[in-house]
Amino acid sequence: MLDMRGRACFSKGLASVKWSAMQAFIIRRILAVIPTLIFTSVIVFASIRMIPGDVIDLMLAQNDISTGNDRALIEASLGLDKPIYVQYFVWAGNLLQGDLGRSLWQNTPVTEQLAATLPITFELGFLALIVALSVAIPIGIYSAMRQDTAGDYVARSFSLLMLAVPSFWLGTLVMVFPSVWWRWSPPLQYTPFLEDPFGNLAHMMVPAILLGLSLSAVTMRMTRTMMLEVLRQDYIRTARAKGLAEHVVVLRHALRNCLIPVVTLIGLQAPLLIGGAVILEQIFVVPGMGLLLLEAVFQRDYPVVTGVFLVVGVAILAINLLVDLTYGFLDPKVRH
Amino acid sequence: MSDVTASLTATLSGSLAPARHPVVAFHRRLFREKPLGAIGGILFAVFLFCGLFADFLAPFGLNETDMLRRLQSPSWSHWFGTDHLGRDVLSRILFGAQLSVIVGFLAAGLATIISIVLGVVTGYFGGAIDMTIQRFVDAWMTFPDLVLLIVVISIVGPGVPQIVIILGCLYGIAGSRIIRGSVIGIRENMYVHAAQSTGASTPHILIFHILPNVMPVVIVLFTTRVGAVILAEAGLSFLGLGVPPPAPTWGSMLSGTGRTYMYLGPWLALAPGLCLTVVVYAINIYGDALRDLLDPRMRGR
Amino acid sequence: MRVLLLLSVLAGMKVWAETPQYGGDLNVGTVNVTLSPLSWDPADWTWKSNHDTGAAREQLFAGDLDKSIRKGGAYPFIADAYLPTESIRGELAESWSWEGDLTLVINLRRNALFTDRPGVMKARLLEAEDVVFSYNLIDQSPKRIPTYFDHIKNVYARDQHTVVFEFSQYNAEWMYRFGYGYYSGISPRELGKVDRKDWRNVSGTGPFILEKYVQANAHIYTRNDNYWDQETIDGKQYDIPFVDKLIYRIIKDEATYLTALRTGQLDILEAMRWIAVDHLKETTPELKWNRWLGTSGTFLSLRVDQKPFDDVRVRRALNLAVNQKEIVELFYGGHAELMAYPQHPGFGDYFEPLADMPEAVQALFTYNPKKARQLLDEAGVPEGFTFNVQVCSCSPSNMDLIPLLESYLKKVGIQIIIQPMEYASFLSAMTTKTHGPGYLLNSGHVNPITTLRKSFVTGQTWNPSQYSSDYFDEQVRLLHLMRDENERIEVLRALTREILAEAPYIWLPVAYAHTAWWPWVKNYGGELRVGAVRPGPIYGRIWVDEKLKADLGFD
Repeated sequence: MLDMRGRACFSKGLASVKWSAMQAFIIRRILAVIPTLIFTSVIVFASIRMIPGDVIDLMLAQNDISTGNDRALIEASLGLDKPIYVQYFVWAGNLLQGDLGRSLWQNTPVTEQLAATLPITFELGFLALIVALSVAIPIGIYSAMRQDTAGDYVARSFSLLMLAVPSFWLGTLVMVFPSVWWRWSPPLQYTPFLEDPFGNLAHMMVPAILLGLSLSAVTMRMTRTMMLEVLRQDYIRTARAKGLAEHVVVLRHALRNCLIPVVTLIGLQAPLLIGGAVILEQIFVVPGMGLLLLEAVFQRDYPVVTGVFLVVGVAILAINLLVDLTYGFLDPKVRH
Repeated sequence: MSDVTASLTATLSGSLAPARHPVVAFHRRLFREKPLGAIGGILFAVFLFCGLFADFLAPFGLNETDMLRRLQSPSWSHWFGTDHLGRDVLSRILFGAQLSVIVGFLAAGLATIISIVLGVVTGYFGGAIDMTIQRFVDAWMTFPDLVLLIVVISIVGPGVPQIVIILGCLYGIAGSRIIRGSVIGIRENMYVHAAQSTGASTPHILIFHILPNVMPVVIVLFTTRVGAVILAEAGLSFLGLGVPPPAPTWGSMLSGTGRTYMYLGPWLALAPGLCLTVVVYAINIYGDALRDLLDPRMRGR
Repeated sequence: MRVLLLLSVLAGMKVWAETPQYGGDLNVGTVNVTLSPLSWDPADWTWKSNHDTGAAREQLFAGDLDKSIRKGGAYPFIADAYLPTESIRGELAESWSWEGDLTLVINLRRNALFTDRPGVMKARLLEAEDVVFSYNLIDQSPKRIPTYFDHIKNVYARDQHTVVFEFSQYNAEWMYRFGYGYYSGISPRELGKVDRKDWRNVSGTGPFILEKYVQANAHIYTRNDNYWDQETIDGKQYDIPFVDKLIYRIIKDEATYLTALRTGQLDILEAMRWIAVDHLKETTPELKWNRWLGTSGTFLSLRVDQKPFDDVRVRRALNLAVNQKEIVELFYGGHAELMAYPQHPGFGDYFEPLADMPEAVQALFTYNPKKARQLLDEAGVPEGFTFNVQVCSCSPSNMDLIPLLESYLKKVGIQIIIQPMEYASFLSAMTTKTHGPGYLLNSGHVNPITTLRKSFVTGQTWNPSQYSSDYFDEQVRLLHLMRDENERIEVLRALTREILAEAPYIWLPVAYAHTAWWPWVKNYGGELRVGAVRPGPIYGRIWVDEKLKADLGFD
């Protein structure tokens, strides 16, 4: 698949677009996603209940005697006494009405918890993406243009280094050492963006940078590869032969054609942005979805876990769909 | 001729003495054309060596506590110092290498087998099998690695076999996509068509035509997976779900005692941190070089 | 430069008495800084309820901070759920008396005010019916502890400000169980009609109002301007609370909360391990410190209902095999006590020091691997005997300790297999009795009687060793009925001695923890609780010296 997308980089000009063909394509893609979603929801629903130590045990263990508590009553009040397939259909039915259930501990609607945490994770991911792109693309282009020179090696080494250092370690170093040497650390307190934009960004910047750097490694490599392929093409040689300045060649011709696969790659990195954030969220006290999920798993809050998985799944599938659509729009060969 | 044999022939024809082992010759080419990758390879080999012979190389046991010796900085008797329980850090690093080799290779191996099976089957046969399995792979790949790991390890509990199997499945399914892409390309190769038209059986084609041509991809995938597994275990141990103590995985040494005691003993974090970074980095550089030499078409994966 | 500034400020402070200032924020990393609230509903019977809501919800009784050591009294207010009788004052109870042996009459304060709570209630005074409601709410909950209120027959309001408790029998813990204990919060009657699980409906008479809860991140409380109580400082009376905002920060990572303290983002950090203390004292000399003995026992429980741990020789041998003194001096850097469980030194006369204990008990805290191996041989345990030990990955200290225990036991030919589990799995293994044979646990002391009851009475959830003795059960039952404190002390001490000698656990040292706070936090001396896990009233009396804070370089 990536091969085909790479070749699309060389297509000169857009093919003519027929709207009905596009519609069919969209519908087909969406239909393809639905079985995946259902399949996934079943697995997630079942698997979280397989973790040893169920939520009732945990609730009963909250005080120092719990012999004789009426387990059945508590189970019934939480709707956990019905067989699992009944629970699933109840959940799925509610889901279709927009109700993801309520937290077993605090009775807050899961939708509310997700509405509180999803934007934060998205913001972190978005900032990380900006960092990743601003680091990866220039370095990738530079690396391609100076292929196999010392500069290329240094650039590639740097990006691989970012991949090799565990995020929790880098995060700890960045947070602890400035605090010891200069009594300064990045703010460890979350403020909503609308309340205090600067405070919010100051808080999220450091984890975003760390997340972005680890993302940039793969992106940089991709950019470099694509750039290399493009630079070898005839029309580039022609442009050079015409006497155009190097940076004009790069910017006007090569860059435009290479961003498509790079953007595609970004879409594929979406899981990393969400999952990779879990560790950084813990270290930098970011109340995002990763931390919500971790807590919910540890507290056996089934509706929250299922809700988070579903939303993550939908978000990532939506991103991939969008990327595919953009791609299909630009290259009719893919649409068959 | 398959691409692998093509590249090996190219290598062989470059050397004066024809009767040289292809792997050795290949590595000579590596040294000549990709020096950085070669360094990565050397470090990788050192890592392997330490891992395999840790029992002989380590001066102390992996859980040999001696509270009177605790938290000593590096010295002649303890090259990397001692930790909070008086255990020799160098020995623990060596045994950690052993664990990383075991977990890394086993998990990467399992992942590779799964990737090959899934990738070849879906890539070669296509059709309904491809569609259904791809839906399953789609579902699997929708989820962030760490999130899946957290849930699964919570279910089965931490431990070496569990981690190997889970990481193996995780990377195996994700990697099958890449192999599938490769197989689709190979399928259209004219040698395969020739074999099919002469009535060769499917297993024959799979084993003698498809598989050898997928090997370069497999080799590179395997190498990079080893690094990925080591890092994944480090992330898990930070969250408390890694290999249980007193196992000296570099990840748990770094995330646990390394961070707790960093004020009292920076060497406790420096040693596993450096080893982790250097080894994963070396593996990736080596994998990059392998890829460049074996199958330039794979660049950018 | 900073040091000069500090010295001059300190000198200035000594010259004139400090006048409390109003305003500012107080950011606290509490004892449970890594834990999020599990439930806001009193009917859920969660132990953490007072910690989460105790700044807003008050109780009948609480510790009297005027008797704290800082103010010249005798009480440190550290114990997590125990208050010596003389240190207690009436919080919402203005006075109380007994009518006959079994009727308790409590007169409530007349000026305690429930705050406005949108969607729940308008502000009004506390009434006796609220107390009755609060009691019935928890007594009738499906999650209640079955025998907890067996001693109470009936609760009713005699008039608007008087509550009557009719006892069916005396219980020595009465003041704890519905007074200053875990499940004693007084909520308004209106709570019966709203969703109690919603944090927005948390209502009370306390010094603070729960303004916002950001999941897994922070609880934000704002000042209750109409709070009924006052604080006396240097002879003058002040309305409290002083600070505008009280924020409990939830920070899961140790390195992060230490950094937050170091950079002034936390004003108080209530509990940290000894490891970071020296370095913190070096880099941040302005901090003030308090060291306190942990309020939970650490032990490795052995399942006495499984062979070979049913043989007391085996259990004693394992105690001899572990070098507890070395753990105190070297693992905890000297910041630990050899024996502080089941009784805690903070329990006053209930606690008997190790040196006064009989030989059989003292021996368990010595290191004698030869004798250990001898006992094991006698009991028929072979060399290389292996058993599983579960440990919670939620306790970094225990995770650090267990490889050391493995090493000690290996030296006497016993091999343990370490199984870390995360909190819920770990707990559930115990509640479903599928744990063991070894189980490394921290168990709260609570109070002198409960510490024995919860851990050693037959069938109790927090009795991981499954220890069962009819005699012990009966003695504990009788303890609850004794009115005479001296009698209780004697019986309790005897029971403690016996259980220690029985060694159902490998007894392990109890570590000290440290509290640190910045000098701009005033009217505070490191006190932790004035009720069961209840710090609210302490924070209500703290004031922040903004000028000092600015002088030290923090805005």
